[in-house]
Amino acid sequence: MNINRLIALSKSVQFGKILTSNARHATKEVNLPHRTIRTHARNLAYAKDLFLGKVNKAECFPYPEIGNEELEEINSFVAPVEKFFTEEVDSKRIDHEAKIPPETLNGLKELGLFGIQVPEEYGGLGLSNTMYARLGEIISLDGSIAVTLAAHQAIGLKGILIAGSEEQKAKYLPKLASGEHVAAFCLTEPGSGSDAASIQTKATLSEDRKTYLLNGSKIWISNGGFADLMTVFARTEVVGEDGVKKDKITAFIVERAFGGITSGKPEDKLGIRGSNTCEVSFDNCPVPVENVIGEVGGGFKVAMNILNSGRFSMGSAGSGMIKKLIEMTAEYAGSRKQFGKNLSEFGMIQEKFAVMAQNAFVMESMAYLTAGMMDRPGVPDCSLEAAMVKVSDLLPIGCLIVVCVVVSKLNDGIGVLIGYAVVGEQGVQERTKHTPLRCPSVEDQRGGCVVAYPTPTLTNVFSSEGGWICVSEALQVLGGLGYTKNYPYERYLRDCRILLIFEGTNEILRMYIALTGMQYAGKILTGKIKEMKKGNVGVAFEMLGRKLGDALGRKVDLGLTGMDGVVHPGLADSAKKLEQNVAHFGSTVENLLYRYGKTIVEEQLILKRVADVLINLYAMTAVLSRSSRSISIGLRNHDHEVLLANTFCTDAFFKNNYWLTQLQRNSPENQDENIKKIAREVLEKRTYVCSHPLDRTF
Amino acid sequence: MNCARCLLRLQSVGFLAPSVRAAVQHAALLQPATALSQITAHNTCGQALRRFHGSPGCYKSQPVPTDPGEEHEDRIKKDKSLITHDDLFERVAREAKTKATFNRVVDVFSKRDIRRRGHVEFIYAALKKMPEFGVERDLTVYNKLLDVFPKEVFVPRNFIQRMFNHYPRQQECGVQLLEQMENYGIMPNVESKVLIVQIFGDKSHPMRKYQRIMYWFPKFKHANPFPVPLQLPEDPVDLARLSLNRIANDLDAKVTVYQMPCTDISESGEEITFPHVVGIQSPDQMELLAKHNPNRPVFVEGPFPLWLRKICVYYYILRADPLPPEEKVEDSYDPERCFDYPLQLDLDLDRDMGDDDSFDVEDVDEGPVFAMCMTSQGDQATLNQWISGLQETNPTLGRVPTLFRLEAGPRELQGVADPGPGYREEGEEEAETDIVVEEEHQRSQGVKQ
Repeated sequence: MNINRLIALSKSVQFGKILTSNARHATKEVNLPHRTIRTHARNLAYAKDLFLGKVNKAECFPYPEIGNEELEEINSFVAPVEKFFTEEVDSKRIDHEAKIPPETLNGLKELGLFGIQVPEEYGGLGLSNTMYARLGEIISLDGSIAVTLAAHQAIGLKGILIAGSEEQKAKYLPKLASGEHVAAFCLTEPGSGSDAASIQTKATLSEDRKTYLLNGSKIWISNGGFADLMTVFARTEVVGEDGVKKDKITAFIVERAFGGITSGKPEDKLGIRGSNTCEVSFDNCPVPVENVIGEVGGGFKVAMNILNSGRFSMGSAGSGMIKKLIEMTAEYAGSRKQFGKNLSEFGMIQEKFAVMAQNAFVMESMAYLTAGMMDRPGVPDCSLEAAMVKVSDLLPIGCLIVVCVVVSKLNDGIGVLIGYAVVGEQGVQERTKHTPLRCPSVEDQRGGCVVAYPTPTLTNVFSSEGGWICVSEALQVLGGLGYTKNYPYERYLRDCRILLIFEGTNEILRMYIALTGMQYAGKILTGKIKEMKKGNVGVAFEMLGRKLGDALGRKVDLGLTGMDGVVHPGLADSAKKLEQNVAHFGSTVENLLYRYGKTIVEEQLILKRVADVLINLYAMTAVLSRSSRSISIGLRNHDHEVLLANTFCTDAFFKNNYWLTQLQRNSPENQDENIKKIAREVLEKRTYVCSHPLDRTF
Repeated sequence: MNCARCLLRLQSVGFLAPSVRAAVQHAALLQPATALSQITAHNTCGQALRRFHGSPGCYKSQPVPTDPGEEHEDRIKKDKSLITHDDLFERVAREAKTKATFNRVVDVFSKRDIRRRGHVEFIYAALKKMPEFGVERDLTVYNKLLDVFPKEVFVPRNFIQRMFNHYPRQQECGVQLLEQMENYGIMPNVESKVLIVQIFGDKSHPMRKYQRIMYWFPKFKHANPFPVPLQLPEDPVDLARLSLNRIANDLDAKVTVYQMPCTDISESGEEITFPHVVGIQSPDQMELLAKHNPNRPVFVEGPFPLWLRKICVYYYILRADPLPPEEKVEDSYDPERCFDYPLQLDLDLDRDMGDDDSFDVEDVDEGPVFAMCMTSQGDQATLNQWISGLQETNPTLGRVPTLFRLEAGPRELQGVADPGPGYREEGEEEAETDIVVEEEHQRSQGVKQ
């Protein structure tokens, strides 16, 4: 760790200026090793390596830390925001009136919360992901505000930040960062959210080739009612390489002032009622050609990158909310008497608090581990070729979009590197060069776009579901009182339901998590599996030997404990469990690939379990890493952390084992066939099939 | 316990052989005789009815007339009654064949004689006449017929009676009644059960029959996943709606009435009837039609028959030939389709054979069916109306050449006696129904024996 930091420190002096466009960072760079560049090749593929049954301990251990100065900086930001949210924000009123009052919005603008991640040179706060996560904990205390802010900066202005040109950034970012302009993200159209084919909005180039005319309508647009600036995706006609005209998606920056934009009535929603969601229609809205984000026809990549990066914004939201809920509910449970005893003395109530504490702990650990990984500078080298070769290592995991390599695929394995963008918290560095080179190791190439791997997504799925359970348990502690509007629980319940839905429903995210990993593992294992299918005795014996070893209870040692261990001995048992799970997971993935090959895409129930196991493995890693650090440096109440970590790991261990057993061939635990059959019969009739229990035949 | 079987058993033991043979012969002689009498008594079915293992002794256990003169008279009466019962129905039927008249006949018989003499023959005659009066599916009528049996007379009173076949003719008649109910799909109710218990006792053959019916009927009641309603709609448009929905079997499919049936008087004073035209099309079919290559013709074909209970209706389809292999376009994978996850994996691995549980199905290439319709008049002019109606929702159809490939086929068969255009009722002819019923009878008996 220390050596790494030293190296980073020394390199940062050399490369900081090249890659850091942030003025503040340039001045502070020596003090802030974390925000600069490390040059040695780092392997970032933690979650991906889990698919191969490996633990890449250098990636998650030790738990990421921030420097003292940064900590002070965060605290100086957090204090006024916390004060504002406890004193000025009236969540009940926002929920009731379904509107955030202007004075509250102004307060948020004054605090700079509209430009948390916009670089300082454009007038934003320029905070790192870790700091963003810390602020997110507080912002999430009001769901409506959190969603409004997320729609503005996590997705709304992200397009300009990631793929916009210098001129676009200079023109729009300052106003957006100050909150003078509010941004919105217009992608979804009637049809479906994830299907690009549903996008029917057209952008036609005018005769003078200076403006595009936008026509069409978008639905479910957060901030759509009052946004001054929108990132809009529309179809444009592009002449392909083979000379055939094709409709491709292009991203545009559209100002409301361009005209031709109408917003529909705000939707009446279950939760996050204060946020504005409505339909936006474009009727011959003129957009100058300069406002195209990225290149014409390259909107798909832009959209995907924005969506991928936007997911992090809610990572820490859940834990912030639950921590607050625990306080409120514990107060009640400690004071309310029933049968002459306090509520807190009843086992079933105690269990609820344990669940909440455990969930909050895990979510927090995951969120800050992810944020730390994302903040870790991951650009190894300035040379394009080197970057290309290491793309597979870089892409990854953990870094949201550390590198976004745009490759247009010519034929197998050979690509032309068109652009190479480094996205850190400093914004985008762009280089363009046409260098044909061989890149057999580039994976995850979809439409010539390399996708970052989903650690934020893992966090997102876990916290949205954990959050829902915890809020519901907290409400249950209060019983009937929690169900009334006198207490805020019902509002929390309604608000946090959206976390499972937006920025990709959890079902979609699970597919993403599982398939991305499967693709990675499949590339590496294809050769081996083919050998096995051909009947190669050597490979088969190796497999057999390994299976025999597993059956005989051979201990798996992936190096988390012991001599070079990174986990504190107090957590050794849990670490062993993680190792055992990881090894089992690796062999299961191999087995699945052997059995299903590329048709695994169709097996959604299997992919769901793969994703669930992976989420649990990542969560176990996060809590182990965090508690190890806490013991080692002697944080306050670290014994409680150890307790939570051990409980969670044991719990997750058995759950994982169960899921992995279900994934075996012909496992009696696996009910998939029946589940599918039930669903098929119900859906065929489109109704509940059974007769009423009171029906008779004679 | 069957007498013959008893004797056979004795034979196997090996004594009384000659007398046994004689007895067997006697039984064999007797059995055809009884069967014959049955046939003469009631010629409902063209074959000998299923018998219990009747024995001469049992046959005698009928109320035995005390003196021969009376016996003779009785026989005459019986013969007579055979005529009179049929006659009774015939006489009443001259007015009207309804449930009320049928009930009246039964009442007349029940009141005529406290001893209900000749009730077995009467019941057989009544069973035969039921379809004529249109009460063959009426449970109350069957119960009323059961009620004709005198109560408690045939209930065995001791173990010997219980062991042997007590009053076989009566029991057989009771079973026959239940069997006719079964053939018409009528399930007996508690009232029937009470009557059977009162008449034959609770371990009798009719009771067993009742129990078997009650075991199987409820089990099979919902065996058909696509039940046809008992009462089919009278209105041809409603009937067409029902039939089309039945053929299409798609919950999204939409029925459109292109023309309601009506009669109009033209200027020249002629009466013109407009036939009904009812069509069905699902969104999937519309999509297929929109994708259809306008250079290839579509065909209107028909009529095809569809049977609904006893009604046959005819429908027409709009279809195209299957695409020749060279025109087939594979849906290519668009990597820029899904914003969130890859829709396909870029792997060189296929599903393992052990996990491929798909069946080897020979896919026969069939052309798509774009829409279906029903009309009372299957000529080209009427069907053209349907096609032009379809064009409103399917603009491509205007550019596609439409060929009519109509067969005259079943239209001729219908003949003049066609009750309503487009469908005909086959149950009209009495004889035909009877044949059907009789066949059913035989079949069921064959199975049961």
